[in-house]
Amino acid sequence: MKELVEYIARSIVTIPESVVVSEEVEGGVTYLKLQVAVEDRGRVIGKQGRIAQAMRALLKVAAVREGTRVELKIE
Amino acid sequence: MEEIEVSARTVDEAVEKALEQLGLSEEEVEITIVKKGRSGLLGLGAQDARILVRPLLQDAKEEEGETILDRQDDRTIASLPSESVMVVKGVLEKLLVLMGVNAQVEVVNTPTTNEDASVTLNIVGNDLGILIGRRGQTLASLQHLVRVIAARHFREQVPIVIDVESYKQRRYQTLGVLATRLAQKVNTTGRSITLEPMPASERRLIHISLRDNPLVTTQSVGEGDSRKVIILPKRH
Repeated sequence: MKELVEYIARSIVTIPESVVVSEEVEGGVTYLKLQVAVEDRGRVIGKQGRIAQAMRALLKVAAVREGTRVELKIE
Repeated sequence: MEEIEVSARTVDEAVEKALEQLGLSEEEVEITIVKKGRSGLLGLGAQDARILVRPLLQDAKEEEGETILDRQDDRTIASLPSESVMVVKGVLEKLLVLMGVNAQVEVVNTPTTNEDASVTLNIVGNDLGILIGRRGQTLASLQHLVRVIAARHFREQVPIVIDVESYKQRRYQTLGVLATRLAQKVNTTGRSITLEPMPASERRLIHISLRDNPLVTTQSVGEGDSRKVIILPKRH
């Protein structure tokens, strides 16, 4: 799931080197934190949060497949 | 499995009845409300609710056999997909792998489509209902991300459609038929009909299919996820 976020983020930002995704598992929930360069923040969030929402939708599919839960935070 | 139409006292009851009949759960079907029921006063003027229920995916067994061949017959599989289509196909395949979804992507030419695009990437495989999601929302998310990634790569918009087991194609057919039927009803009763909330592409299809209808007009109302189409009688 971490790789999924990394791949999507690196594909849409202007500074892919600055993309960092950290992962923490607690109580059966995977918490992902996505960090990008300040000027790319809008790109990973999208108009009205549409890209962030879409990433969460795909993450949910991956989580269901793995039988876990996932939460994505964008910083 | 084909689409079925079910009537019952309320929408909930109709849904229950339909699911029982099909042996499927609510997540595995697409429900279109044709008419909401009315209980009426002491049973007077009561009207049954009517719904259309269509399985999201056909039986795996059915799918393996003739249906795949049939499907390939009525649409042309692109013989020479352009390089850019292959790039986008690669993006989609990569996303599917990262999502843990085991499926294939076929490139399909769709000369007449609701969304202005010449190419559809149709995802085929087993048990893909999860990729469609409620009201096709997961599929919409997947298409949005693929388009954003492709736009970034090519430095321009790439109008490509993503579909799952031809779900959209079948859904658009259903909606086209429904639109025509409801338009007739609006015309005979003189009353407008409000449809259930739909995503933009589906609302667009209703507007387009009734655009040249001399008897009715259409309008979208509401915001965001609850935006829906109203079919109104044209005043003479």
